[in-house]
Amino acid sequence: MHEASVALSLIEVVCEVLEEHGAQRAISLTVRLGEWASVVPEALEAAFPACAQGTPLEGAALHIQRVPGVGECPTHGPIPLNVLRGLRCPECGQPTPRLLQGDELELEELELA
Amino acid sequence: MTTTPRIVTVRQNILKANDHTAAENRQTFEAAGVRAINLVSSPGAGKTALLECTLRNLSAQVRMAVAVGDLATENDAARLRQWGAQAEQIVTGTICHLDAAMVQNVLEKFSLNDLDVLFLENVGNLVCPSSFDLGEAARAVLISTTEGEDKPLKYPTIFNTADVVVITKMDIAEAVGFDLALCRENIDRACPGVPILELSSRQGTGLDKWFAFVRRQMEVAR
Repeated sequence: MHEASVALSLIEVVCEVLEEHGAQRAISLTVRLGEWASVVPEALEAAFPACAQGTPLEGAALHIQRVPGVGECPTHGPIPLNVLRGLRCPECGQPTPRLLQGDELELEELELA
Repeated sequence: MTTTPRIVTVRQNILKANDHTAAENRQTFEAAGVRAINLVSSPGAGKTALLECTLRNLSAQVRMAVAVGDLATENDAARLRQWGAQAEQIVTGTICHLDAAMVQNVLEKFSLNDLDVLFLENVGNLVCPSSFDLGEAARAVLISTTEGEDKPLKYPTIFNTADVVVITKMDIAEAVGFDLALCRENIDRACPGVPILELSSRQGTGLDKWFAFVRRQMEVAR
């Protein structure tokens, strides 16, 4: 349940970008959220409006893009990884220690007013 | 004044402020020759008990101190101070994890140059601490035999970031029907190749490998 902390950090990052662009307010923002990032999208959606009150993001629409996990199997190359099955190739069961994608917690895009 | 909405592509890590502070902490530790070990587990897995054992047995060889996070109370710090080590409590209030800034704020209470190892005992929680780098040199994830062998699969992110996994409360493994082989397999699924240690702080068994891990940290620091 650290989504409120994540929402506050997100607002901080957005405010920096607004300042860089000389913008007063954000209308909408898109966040890329990996399935392996340990952040629950519903909880982030719930926390965001409350954390945004009184900031330049008040009333802004939050869009969340889920990023599925992809690992690298020594035999099968890039393969999809299901969080519930662990870091093993779904084809052959070999360990795939490195995550090619799926741990994202990124501010992707911002619509400025 | 422009009034047309503009879309800007940002692509920035949301937790970059934490990562930045964590990098500062890491520099501070490196400059002082201290290895910071972040201890993470669910509540009651035995982080404090393991640290008590470690302080009791290793203090002649390794100069250690602890910063311990909890939502409330100073109980854990008081428990750890009994063993003669400096222990500072970080009371996080309603926050369910330590972040790099909380650690940075408490560092001034320590004389880092006089330490080899600083333990950062995280808030008991297997979810949130995984997102927050504290600037540690190593992350130790604890799982007790009472928790169920599938925990590494249920909380893959935290196990995936572990440098070592410690299975605690081995003295009651049999009584609670703990399947060690299955647990080890699940840990390896979440973090292929990670070293796994089994011990009992209460019985004092299996501690040697953990002590060796801690001593190795000190050797790296020097």
